[in-house]
Amino acid sequence: MKRTWTQRGFLLTGGALLIAAVVPLFASEYALHIGVLVLLYAYLSTAWNILGGYGGQHSLGHSLFLGVGAYTSTFLFTKIGLTPWVGMWIGALLAGLVSWFVGYLCFRYGLKGPYFALVTIAIAEAMVSLTNNLNVVGGAMGLEVKWHGNAPLLMQFQSKAGYYYIALVMLVVIIWLVNWLSRQRFGYHLVAVRENEDAAEALGVDTLRTKIQASILSAVLTALGGTFFAQYFTYINPKNVFGEGPSIQILLFAIVGGLGTVWGPAVGALVLVPIAELARGWLGGSFAGAHLLLYGTVLVLVMLFMPKGIMGLVASLRQRLNRNRPAPEEERRPA
Amino acid sequence: MSMLTVSDLSCYFGGLAAVVDLSFAIQEGEILGLIGPNGAGKTTVFNMLSGFILPTSGEIIYQGRRLNGLKPHQICHLGLTRTFQVVQPFPDMTVLENTMIGAYVRHRSTADARRKALETLERVGLHEKANALGRDLTLLELKRLEIGKALASEPNLLLLDEAAAGLKDTEIEDILTLVRQLNREGMTLLIVEHLMKVIMNLSHRIIVLDFGKMIAQGTPQEISHNPAVLEAYLGQEE
Repeated sequence: MKRTWTQRGFLLTGGALLIAAVVPLFASEYALHIGVLVLLYAYLSTAWNILGGYGGQHSLGHSLFLGVGAYTSTFLFTKIGLTPWVGMWIGALLAGLVSWFVGYLCFRYGLKGPYFALVTIAIAEAMVSLTNNLNVVGGAMGLEVKWHGNAPLLMQFQSKAGYYYIALVMLVVIIWLVNWLSRQRFGYHLVAVRENEDAAEALGVDTLRTKIQASILSAVLTALGGTFFAQYFTYINPKNVFGEGPSIQILLFAIVGGLGTVWGPAVGALVLVPIAELARGWLGGSFAGAHLLLYGTVLVLVMLFMPKGIMGLVASLRQRLNRNRPAPEEERRPA
Repeated sequence: MSMLTVSDLSCYFGGLAAVVDLSFAIQEGEILGLIGPNGAGKTTVFNMLSGFILPTSGEIIYQGRRLNGLKPHQICHLGLTRTFQVVQPFPDMTVLENTMIGAYVRHRSTADARRKALETLERVGLHEKANALGRDLTLLELKRLEIGKALASEPNLLLLDEAAAGLKDTEIEDILTLVRQLNREGMTLLIVEHLMKVIMNLSHRIIVLDFGKMIAQGTPQEISHNPAVLEAYLGQEE
């Protein structure tokens, strides 16, 4: 019996999950480090994709939410000893409020496309300046996460495997969430807003509310990733969480993988992060910033030759294979 | 009972008067035609009724509710849905998904919306295209989709903006049949159309706009003999 695409999808997902779950049993610490980065960026990029890919509102300043999450939990941890497991939710709440405010400001006044992108950059940059000059959060020196030894309750682990599994769970949850949402009324509304705002509005879609909801959801999820970011690297400063670096990386993986697809951002991170990390490892000493050059080159090439990303390529190959059989609806997700 | 009452509606774009002191009513169950030469203000009237443009003055009352200031999506939820003269599909969504957006107005669950959308696609003859992308449709199919999306929202009052423009005669017949059928089932319609035979054929009553003002109203019979109309419009074109 021929398997349907949905069944294949289940097998593929299950297989990938199984492999991902056993990796720490064999991998070296360095390989695990790359694994954690892949999972973390896949997660962050998937969170960005909700607003940017599905909703078509390209935020170039998502580091804003990463930073709010990272700074909030780390501040509470270092100052009053609150475990990041709790601090992350406070950070998420704050990020949600910030994004509600930013989203309302932008969308209420109809900022679209490049104008929205510029505002998000500006606000993230403003946070760099603000935290740089705020001594209570360490100013330009940033904050260091105090090491308490192997303490799972404080989200600290001796081995990288602990971080790896947390990141894996976060990624699985967010992919499940996005996959589910994309089949709900909200998910369809969000894509409709991206595709044609006037038509969506005329058909009863509250476009303003939909965009604000998407940006809050995206921000909350990004902030949760921010706490993990801080715990994993054990050090944050204004530049490395609020700066343009993480903002660009987050959206890069989604673009390369495929905007507005469930798997695109994860696939993008899986392909790009290891290449970039290896390049950094090999060339870092003699040629600092090699990985950034690589990102730039890949981005240009992808935009030129496969504007729908890796998942777009996969979809068109699949269509070619399937030309004579109409694919089941579930497979025809909007790109 | 009138379903929609418009009183002293005006719309100015800067110094330009697009619509001036327009008053009319749409009765429940009727097909009202709105005609006028290019630039007469027909689409502006549509945009005001559907909430896309705020009237400069005047009032729009729909089923006892004032529509002025409501957003288009709110008006749609009240049962007044419009189509666009220039078709507005969601290009990267399938025809089914396009139609589901309309169906979600009355159905919260995806399964119900999908059922309603499929049913609607059958009505407008796009059933076989359900899985095609919006961007891959022909003009005729796009015109049908435009109506299908609006129908899926189950409106009480449907505003059709040039639903037949650009179509061949046989295709126009299909649209006429569909509109008559919808009306027979109880739907009230306001239609803007450039094609005289379409509007004369369908409308129970017609309103004629010229330079934003109403210059005549009456049955198709009366309109086609009205000297003011002939002068402003029909006379020049025929």
